[in-house]
Amino acid sequence: MTDIDEAMLIALVDGELDEVNRRRVERAAAGDPALAERLAQHRRLRERLAGHYAPLAQEPVPERLRSLLEENETVVPMTRPARRWGGWAMGGAIAASLVLSLGVGRFSGGEAGPVGMKDGVMVAQGPLATALDSQLASAQDGAAIRIGLTFQRKGGGWCRSFDGAMAGVACREDAGWQVQQMLPGAGQETAYRQASSADARVMATVDALIAGVPADAAGEKKAAANGWQ
Amino acid sequence: MSFERDLLAILPRLRRFAASLSRDRADGDDLCQAALERGLKARDQWQPGTRLDSWMYRIMRNLWIDEARARQRAAKTFAPEEAGLTVGHAGDRDVEAHMMLSDVDRAMQALPEEQREAIALVLVEGLSYKEAAAVLDIPMGTLTSRLVRGRGALLELMGEAA
Repeated sequence: MTDIDEAMLIALVDGELDEVNRRRVERAAAGDPALAERLAQHRRLRERLAGHYAPLAQEPVPERLRSLLEENETVVPMTRPARRWGGWAMGGAIAASLVLSLGVGRFSGGEAGPVGMKDGVMVAQGPLATALDSQLASAQDGAAIRIGLTFQRKGGGWCRSFDGAMAGVACREDAGWQVQQMLPGAGQETAYRQASSADARVMATVDALIAGVPADAAGEKKAAANGWQ
Repeated sequence: MSFERDLLAILPRLRRFAASLSRDRADGDDLCQAALERGLKARDQWQPGTRLDSWMYRIMRNLWIDEARARQRAAKTFAPEEAGLTVGHAGDRDVEAHMMLSDVDRAMQALPEEQREAIALVLVEGLSYKEAAAVLDIPMGTLTSRLVRGRGALLELMGEAA
């Protein structure tokens, strides 16, 4: 038996543990298959719930709700607000279907989602794995998944943050890209978006993991060319 | 930047939150509409510089609790804590509506309100514990214990125990 309780397990899954406690729980799970399985269950549950409701935040808002807000404005905006990132609009539909497949994949026990389970850890697969493997932050117009920062973690090894329908951080391990954190993305991106909760928490994870400073465009390209070794 | 446009920008997320509280999406959009109306009316009470999304989540959640209480009184069907297994008892129409729902919807419906709203804010909306506790106006310890109990129930209801 370990002294890791259920509240600590879920706090890990929710990205609420500090670095010391995170390592403590991960170490305990590595030596305790039952604990590792419980942890995996909680990760799957969070993924499945987030994936189930995520498409709703991607679809157009019904007219009756939209008009409620537009009626009240002195000037009715006839165009949609500008997107913060060019190309995101096009990615939206793809991102929505990505999340949908995540939900459905889990539901049927298939492997259609962006994340698979391997020995109790979440490993990126499909489009997410492809983006992490080869997408450069400097060239990703219109991509459904956006790569944020690329950096080396304490103790060595490459990690990358990503955003899209789901946001998070993944680090390169022998088995592939191990997902360290996965949160629901912010939904529709607009110029007026509030800072999403996911942004701040992904940054906190990056801060906890990073050794030195993030790679620049040249460093990122070189690391990708070397297969993230 | 106007208040209305700020609301419009977070509307997709408000709809998502409403849907995760409600029994279905139509109910969710009704709830969302009521929350928008109340938010517009109470706009003077929102403090610029604070988070509009948290403020709206709170309005929506309070409306939902009021409505759920009213509905409970009207239906005179009191759902006990372990209501998950008795959801069909509220009448034929409820049973029918229930068959249209996915496992996730059904499991969420079976949770007591206080657990469902905590789960919705943290797992679906992605709020931090601190933000979610502030929206619900409860201490962090209360929030985490609701998250633990709610998740345990969901895992059982969704047959994730295997």
